[in-house]
Amino acid sequence: MDGGTWAADRPILIEGCDTIPKLFAHRCRLKADAVAHREKDLGIWRAFTWSDYYDAARAIGLGLIERGLGRGDPVALLSEDRKEWLYVDMGVVCAGGITNGVYTTDSAEQLAYLVNDSGARFLFVENDEQLDKWLEARDRMPGLELVVVFEREGLHDFEDPQVIFLDELMGAGRAFGEAEPRRFEEALAAARPEDTAMLIYTSGTTGPPKGAMITHRNILFQLTAATEVLSFEETDELLCFLPLCHILERLVSVEFPLLAGCSVNFAESPETVFDNLREVSPHSFTAVPRLWEKIYSRLMILRKEATGFGRWCFDRAVAAGMAAEARREKGEAPPAALKLRLAVWDRLVLRNLRRMIGLDRARRGTTGAAPISPELIRWFGAIGVPLVEGYGMTESAGVATANRVEDNRIGTVGPAIPGVELRIDPTGEILLRGPCVFKGYWNKPEKTAETVDAEGWLHTGDVGRVGNDGALTITGRLKDVIITAGGKNITPAEIESRLKFSPYVSDAVIIGDKRRYLTALIMIDQENVEKFAQDRQVPFSDFASLCAAAPVQALIAEEVAEVNRAFARVEGIKDFRLIDVLLTAEDEELTPTMKLKRGFVETKHKALIDAMYQGA
Amino acid sequence: MNVATRHRAAEVGETVLELRNVETFYGPIQALRGVSLEVPKGRIVTILGANGAGKTTLMKTVSGVMDPEKGEVLLEGERISGMDPDAVVKRGVAHVPEGREVFPFLTVEENLRMGAFTRSDTAGIADDLALVYDYFPILAERKGQPAGTLSGGQQQMLAIGRGLMTRPKVMLLDEPSLGLSPILVKEIFAIIRRLNREQGVTMMLVEQNANVALRVAHKGYVLELGRIVMAGDAEKLLASADIQEFYLGHQAGDQQRGQKRWKRRKTWR
Repeated sequence: MDGGTWAADRPILIEGCDTIPKLFAHRCRLKADAVAHREKDLGIWRAFTWSDYYDAARAIGLGLIERGLGRGDPVALLSEDRKEWLYVDMGVVCAGGITNGVYTTDSAEQLAYLVNDSGARFLFVENDEQLDKWLEARDRMPGLELVVVFEREGLHDFEDPQVIFLDELMGAGRAFGEAEPRRFEEALAAARPEDTAMLIYTSGTTGPPKGAMITHRNILFQLTAATEVLSFEETDELLCFLPLCHILERLVSVEFPLLAGCSVNFAESPETVFDNLREVSPHSFTAVPRLWEKIYSRLMILRKEATGFGRWCFDRAVAAGMAAEARREKGEAPPAALKLRLAVWDRLVLRNLRRMIGLDRARRGTTGAAPISPELIRWFGAIGVPLVEGYGMTESAGVATANRVEDNRIGTVGPAIPGVELRIDPTGEILLRGPCVFKGYWNKPEKTAETVDAEGWLHTGDVGRVGNDGALTITGRLKDVIITAGGKNITPAEIESRLKFSPYVSDAVIIGDKRRYLTALIMIDQENVEKFAQDRQVPFSDFASLCAAAPVQALIAEEVAEVNRAFARVEGIKDFRLIDVLLTAEDEELTPTMKLKRGFVETKHKALIDAMYQGA
Repeated sequence: MNVATRHRAAEVGETVLELRNVETFYGPIQALRGVSLEVPKGRIVTILGANGAGKTTLMKTVSGVMDPEKGEVLLEGERISGMDPDAVVKRGVAHVPEGREVFPFLTVEENLRMGAFTRSDTAGIADDLALVYDYFPILAERKGQPAGTLSGGQQQMLAIGRGLMTRPKVMLLDEPSLGLSPILVKEIFAIIRRLNREQGVTMMLVEQNANVALRVAHKGYVLELGRIVMAGDAEKLLASADIQEFYLGHQAGDQQRGQKRWKRRKTWR
């Protein structure tokens, strides 16, 4: 972890390439007819090669250059994960532009904000649904010149001088390429490592979203560091399902394959992830804690519904796995008897479990973007899916610290990846320095200065501690620190993640800043609480009535009491309320990765909160 | 109209029919995934849902044609789930099935008398027959005609009339609008409303035609894939954006292109 070796001017090269476009062209040349992407069309997986990838990106890039895309121009991209997302991304980046992904769950309002803030002149949209967002807010986006739509479905009669379809843009691009055959290759060679390759807007819980500029060098650094921490092989199959607008999925599904040449399979939709996971059976799988929790609950429900004998086998098998996992954690090799026991149970049970969830080929699972319960990591380890947690943020261009499969310090987010310096400042805030630190916020130098100091330290806003082994433990967000009316400092994240460990709690927000005591707003896990109610014959009709049912309230009260026992009395949660509307990713209270946003929750549910402090 | 209205022990507004966590299966296929609902006395409660949502299964579970795997059906607080359909009818649940299902070779009057098969009070039956003819004059006109020769609308009236002849505590109406012209739908629903207002008949109404159903009902539940996703007063449901878009065919404001193919995501609130 010697920062000096990573001086800002030291070039980072991968196979002789110092920018993403060069690496992309290089990989496409090498892999040519190998499968780059698979996408399901009418129920059948179809393969697309690296040559398809390059040709499409080239046509799109040239089409944009012909239409006047300049070096450093942002291009907005509003689509679900699909191969065209990557085609456009590479087309834009090779042509010298900057890709700015927009979440499909964003409203027309938010789209207008992002387009205006970035100053994008081009917008790519997936289909008529997303196009309607532009149509709704087009008069608020005067700077936008051209909208390119991927799908024609439902738009056959639609005509607008500002709108063309992707095949038209690509056709024009190919024609332009005939006339100027060197243009695209010249453009992609012109990129410099310090140029911005992507613009990623951070979900602004305080103030409007800010566009983080990630450079080619940032990404290449991630790739070199990744090879040391995580292994990707050429024959690997990956499954892409998290939003590509998010730095995590972007790295995993767009950038890492450029390095390793593995194939990316696109999930059909967020609803079909579990089926797609089984079909693809990826070699490594990156997901957010929420999804790992879902896989766990699915298996636990299967266990409940199994025969008595099946349950007994399941429990014995997991117990054997847990015993081995406990040894591994202590750094000991499991004794021969345990090894044998595990091998038997693995053949009989665990192997089938892994096949059922589609992780039978997985060398590792990775989790990030939100805190995960250590118990869950151990459990997956026990069934033979090594799960490692990492830490990072948009501003650190993705990963900053990570655990390794062979040295998994569960409960921590691992040591800093090679090349990254890690420091805790006196307030407890985590500081990072190194080639992973982003270039700054788009058009907001004052915000950049608040985040990256003169010495190059990135102020993460997270609070944590570093153990003697160098592994980092995150305890919460600096901004979220609650100071109760009694003057006690409390980091709510610790209490919240404890609450979330309950299968019945999907998310929780602890309230208590400048208040006499702590309270909680809790979002219940619909599936598991419904099952609880069903098993106990608790009548309910819709979600609100489920939340209002007395046995459900009692259930959550018991979960809260459980958490209270684990913390000091002063930090006890005195009261709680359930959020009785079923939130979706479109709601402003949730991030696209389905986390509650404290700020929004506090204002939107003010009445509920105030009710908990009445008469106090 | 001098027939006595049928107030029974329960007061208006008290729960006549209650379902608690009902789960019903067709072999391995779970059609109802835990449904709880209440039908108060003297009210019309409608169950909305698309094809395959489980509406008819729900009706069949109440009337005893199907037995729930879990959960219970209570009529005035007494458990009726698990009973045979004829016992359920005797207890006061009349099922007017989807597609009428009148006896085609029996006359109209014979069909109506079949409805009173479980009763022995001759005077009461005569009164009720008069009541049915009063509400459905066309049936009186054609009482000697085989039911199979009636039009679809008339058969529907006959089926409802037959249900009334059991003097039900609650009447289950399964898609009375099915296959009827808009004028007939209007007519039948006008009669349903009158029966409810004037005779205090409690009804559980299953409909695909959400528009008419919510206009006559007091309360509604939305069933999707065997689960209740929304519940509330009819006015609340009528005002909900999801009901408007998915059941009433209204489209939310964004109509820039004059057409819309994609569907909003449902949130049911």
